[in-house]
Amino acid sequence: MNAADKAGLPSGQQSYLPSADAMARRRQRRYLADSAARWMVRAGGGGVVVALALIFVYLFSEVAPLLRGASVEQAGQFQAPGYAGSERSLLVLERYDTLGMRHSSDGRLTYFRLEDGSPLEEIRLEVPAGVTVDSVAIGEPRSRRVAYGLSDGTAIVVDHETRLEFTDGVRSVVPAPAFPLGRTPVQVDDEGQSLATLAVQETRDGGTGLAARTSDGRLVFVRFRATTSFLTGETELERRAWTLPRPPGEVRQLQLTANLWSLIGIDDAGTLLYWDISDPAAAVLRDQASAVQEGERVTELKMLNGTFSMIVGTSLGNLSQWFLVRDERAAAGDNIFRLSRVRDFDTHPGAITRIQPEYNRKGFAAVDDAGGLGLHYGTSARTLYLEQVSDVPLRSVGVSPIDDVVIAEDETGRILRFDVWNQHPEVSLKALWGKVWYEGRQDPEYVWQASSGADSFEPKYSMIPLTVGTLKAAFFAMLFAMPLAIAGAIYTAYFMAPKLRGYVKPTIEVMEALPTVILGFLAGLWLAPFLENHIPAVFTVLVGLPLSFLVIAWAFSRLPQSLRASVPPGWEAVILLPVIALVVWGLVSLSPLIEIWLFDGSMRQWFTEIGITYDQRNALVVGIAMGFAVIPTIFSIAEDAVFTVPRHLTQGSLALGATSWQTVTRVVLLTASPGIFSAVMIGFGRAVGETMIVLMATGNSPVVNFNIFEGMRTLSANIAVELPETAVNSTHFRILFLAGLVLFAITFTVNTIAEVVRQRLRERYSSL
Amino acid sequence: MENAAMNDQATTAPTVSSGMFDDDRQPLEIAREKVSIEVRDLDLYYGNDQALKSVNLKIAHNRVTAFIGPSGCGKSTLLRCFNRMNDLIDICRIDGEILIDGKNIHDKDVDVAEHRRRVGMVFQKPNPFPKSIFENVAYGLRLQGVNDKRKLAEVVERALRAAALWDEVKDRLDDNAFGLSGGQQQRLVIARAIAIEPEVILLDEPCSALDPISTAKVEELIAELKNDYTIVIVTHNMQQAARVSDFTAYMYMGEMIEFDDTARLFTNPRRKATEDYITGRYG
Repeated sequence: MNAADKAGLPSGQQSYLPSADAMARRRQRRYLADSAARWMVRAGGGGVVVALALIFVYLFSEVAPLLRGASVEQAGQFQAPGYAGSERSLLVLERYDTLGMRHSSDGRLTYFRLEDGSPLEEIRLEVPAGVTVDSVAIGEPRSRRVAYGLSDGTAIVVDHETRLEFTDGVRSVVPAPAFPLGRTPVQVDDEGQSLATLAVQETRDGGTGLAARTSDGRLVFVRFRATTSFLTGETELERRAWTLPRPPGEVRQLQLTANLWSLIGIDDAGTLLYWDISDPAAAVLRDQASAVQEGERVTELKMLNGTFSMIVGTSLGNLSQWFLVRDERAAAGDNIFRLSRVRDFDTHPGAITRIQPEYNRKGFAAVDDAGGLGLHYGTSARTLYLEQVSDVPLRSVGVSPIDDVVIAEDETGRILRFDVWNQHPEVSLKALWGKVWYEGRQDPEYVWQASSGADSFEPKYSMIPLTVGTLKAAFFAMLFAMPLAIAGAIYTAYFMAPKLRGYVKPTIEVMEALPTVILGFLAGLWLAPFLENHIPAVFTVLVGLPLSFLVIAWAFSRLPQSLRASVPPGWEAVILLPVIALVVWGLVSLSPLIEIWLFDGSMRQWFTEIGITYDQRNALVVGIAMGFAVIPTIFSIAEDAVFTVPRHLTQGSLALGATSWQTVTRVVLLTASPGIFSAVMIGFGRAVGETMIVLMATGNSPVVNFNIFEGMRTLSANIAVELPETAVNSTHFRILFLAGLVLFAITFTVNTIAEVVRQRLRERYSSL
Repeated sequence: MENAAMNDQATTAPTVSSGMFDDDRQPLEIAREKVSIEVRDLDLYYGNDQALKSVNLKIAHNRVTAFIGPSGCGKSTLLRCFNRMNDLIDICRIDGEILIDGKNIHDKDVDVAEHRRRVGMVFQKPNPFPKSIFENVAYGLRLQGVNDKRKLAEVVERALRAAALWDEVKDRLDDNAFGLSGGQQQRLVIARAIAIEPEVILLDEPCSALDPISTAKVEELIAELKNDYTIVIVTHNMQQAARVSDFTAYMYMGEMIEFDDTARLFTNPRRKATEDYITGRYG
């Protein structure tokens, strides 16, 4: 087709359009480019959504195991090695899950292979002829110490130790029983009565404490310390013995705390007894409390790791946790404690026959005479597993030091072996978000304290202090930033001369690029001590600065017209710059004088005296520093929102006789409200997620309050502080991920609400 | 009334003949009218650009005066001078005088906000506020501190009736004003202006964004309002000027080329430039 034949072109004129074929080909290409672009945009958008979803899925997958209970699987069974027919036993496992130890009540310690129950070594105690073993007691699991009480008032103490041996590079665990007080029995009761009930505990310095009820009802307490003379190399045993106040009833079970300050007993009426034996010569029965209901007996008493908590098991299968709580009525200096029932666990189907605490945490295993096996945890009050695993009553239970194997022995001497997954018993919804009564505390509290040096430490994973801290930091930052940023935005967008605005807006926006770590250390190292030394200035500036603005504005309006005209419209704010500098300088230098006049020289001291806590790194410092970081975000978005309010609206208002101020408050703000609202919300989101400033300027103390003069610990700072030092896949590790998820949830919720509100505002107030 | 007009004529006639105004550009009929706005030697500069050049003009009381002319001729600028909207433009400078009822509007003792209340303005694009219909009309009164619900309701109804909008919106006064059609919005804006009892209403191309039916309604409204208000209208549409106005001024390049009785200007313009424009040879 000839180009000249085309319709629409006057004859004789040359067309420069390409031929119809070329145009068709071009159309094809344009169509392809168009659809390619469409798909790329879709893929990009979809990719963002998918990436976000993946982050969420990953966070959730790290958190999910926290919510799992325990899983217990029977992995084998065998006849108890050295089972003699009717004796009672204590079962113990070692750290490599290859050996088991069985103390039997007839005075034998048998090491056996955990795999098949084959005996490896049997140690027969040197019990004198004619003397019987009348009681067996086990100390804190970590101490591996067991004591046998004999009928002549003596006791033999055994440590069921093991040793690692390497033959041809192959590791094997071999029995290495030890007798810290010697193989021959040591005297416990000076009167030589049988030790009917016994308690043993290894002290921190390697000594041994033994408490016993003799068959004639007396309570005796002995402390042994083995000292090795470094001159002769001989071991010398130091023994001190006391007789304690006689118990009211017949004591069935006894437990000693590791510091040997307290002796806990239970009598046959089910009454829990507490003797203060910190001064054994002046020991006193300090408290007693019934642990049972009518018709119920206490069948088992054990202490959890750390020996702060007692677990009481009863004939009805009830399990309860008790500990000593400082008596509030006692004088402050007195160490007077009371027994407190702290929490209960799920009830077993039969009478509790044995409780065995876990090694490094606050959990325990319990078995009952209905064949039930339960795994429970103190802090979280959770029963992680409770099933009937045997048709025959169970008599004894042992747990692995790494919590992955449990063995239980039944009445017939059969040992059941279970593989256990029980990684995160510390966590429950209640433990994370509710008040928990931690060991040694007066009351249930919200506490975040994830780790400590001690093995017996109870981790405290309450999310409340962190969440409150996050909101507190964000709140004070917004309190500082919002009025400044929004008022500044309105002034800049609406009143300021365009040229001045051209300087001001980019300058404030550049502030956003300021690394927050710099703001953080300025706040922590300069601002915090500065404010601490000039507390009165905080208050005087807060009141004085706006007042000085009003005074200057009034004075300006009184100036003769000629002088006023010398300031171009929209530049009036510049006048205030020297005023701000002068007023702040003046009030800051006045501050020490105010402290001298009104607060005896130190306002901080005065705060302390009237009972207000003042931390140097506090919410005020964070509010200012983080407010500073948030201002550019809010300012920039709000300024755009105000600036883009259509001129025809403001002019419409002015044309109706409104003043500028009336126009701003009645039309401009209303129309810009969706933008201002989202500016505030984005600022809030940023304040919630901000890390470096809060990390460096808050003191990171996880307190639960809104005192502006105290610090806080935020979710984000907590993750930054603790993630590097936590073990991968530990409960703590996963809870930090949960903190991340909570942070994510807060910002997600805030942003969603913000978006919904913004859309609705925009529908209502957007101009045409 | 007749007497007053005669007096008016008596006082103004000598001025006209004294050569202070170019006879050629002023309609003779204006001499029989009561003058509401008087512009004397008005020069207006945007920076270094002169947008209005020595404009002289009298606007008759309770009459419709139309400004026509090509885009950029200064007709809107002149209109905006009357309620000092040009004050909002920093680089704008004004020489000469504008008198409203004999009072120079640039005098120091003139309160701009009060002045703008007296000289209402309706813009090219309907600009209701993002509020309810009721609140839009009540806006001007609230600015003046009137917050009595009963008084407001009365004034809102009166203004909406005057703007011929009452019957269409009386059942949805609390709805957002954005829900109205463009023509309704423009009448709402007029009602909003009427509500604060102005003396003069300035209309800046009020129908250019409207469809023909809405335009007809607004034009009817203008004809009604003329009885109570002095109206100045800027329009691109010469038929509209011919239909609604009593006097018409043709402006070109910041100058007032011709100002005359509308009928005469459109049928028998005195100047060739005017004739070229109205016959469509220019524009």
